[in-house]
Amino acid sequence: MIPLQLWWAGVSQRHANANSLIAIIPISIAALPVYYFLQSRPEVDFHFALFLIIGSVVGAYIGARILNRIPEREVTLIVAAVLLIVGLKEVIAP
Amino acid sequence: MNWGDGLAILGGLAAGILSGFIGIGGGTAFVPIMTVGFRFNQALAQGTSLAAIIPTAIVGGVTHVREGNVLLGPALWMGGGGVVGAILGALLAAHVPGLLLARVWGGFLVLTAFRLGQDAWKKANVVKALPPG
Repeated sequence: MIPLQLWWAGVSQRHANANSLIAIIPISIAALPVYYFLQSRPEVDFHFALFLIIGSVVGAYIGARILNRIPEREVTLIVAAVLLIVGLKEVIAP
Repeated sequence: MNWGDGLAILGGLAAGILSGFIGIGGGTAFVPIMTVGFRFNQALAQGTSLAAIIPTAIVGGVTHVREGNVLLGPALWMGGGGVVGAILGALLAAHVPGLLLARVWGGFLVLTAFRLGQDAWKKANVVKALPPG
């Protein structure tokens, strides 16, 4: 969603990051039941998710507060670096 | 609570910071932590990441709204369109081999990373080309 906004809608990196996080909320709410109910077995581990959430809600607050304190170009470079690392990992050792 | 649960909290913290900062969802932040760090299979990791990202995105999203980073109209339109795409994608994912799915997704991320890097590089050169002052 971030590249879509940057390249087709001309949205700034800062807004693109924040908008996509908002858009993720309804998307995940809609997709979660598909993974839980419509697979051969429920593909959701709620116990593990609970512990992830304990850390991630604190992290999300910190991450969102940091965004305005870092220059736009550096934000773009960080986004590119994260996508490159995760992307290469998925291609080489999925 | 055991060591694994503690590590999950730390993994969640790292994924949450990335998510709040960059605006990425579970596929990029939570799934690798579960598949690499905890040996989840791809489908279980994706499903679990969806459960984890909902409260994460709500906290991050509300913080972004308060920081003035959100264009609410476009964000909601994108969310609405994304809902349709997500349901189709989740149904499709059930019929596509996990390995292929991960490689296609990874390839997309790498291409996006290069294009973003190129954009940032161009911006730097424009700044340098401007006369001082």
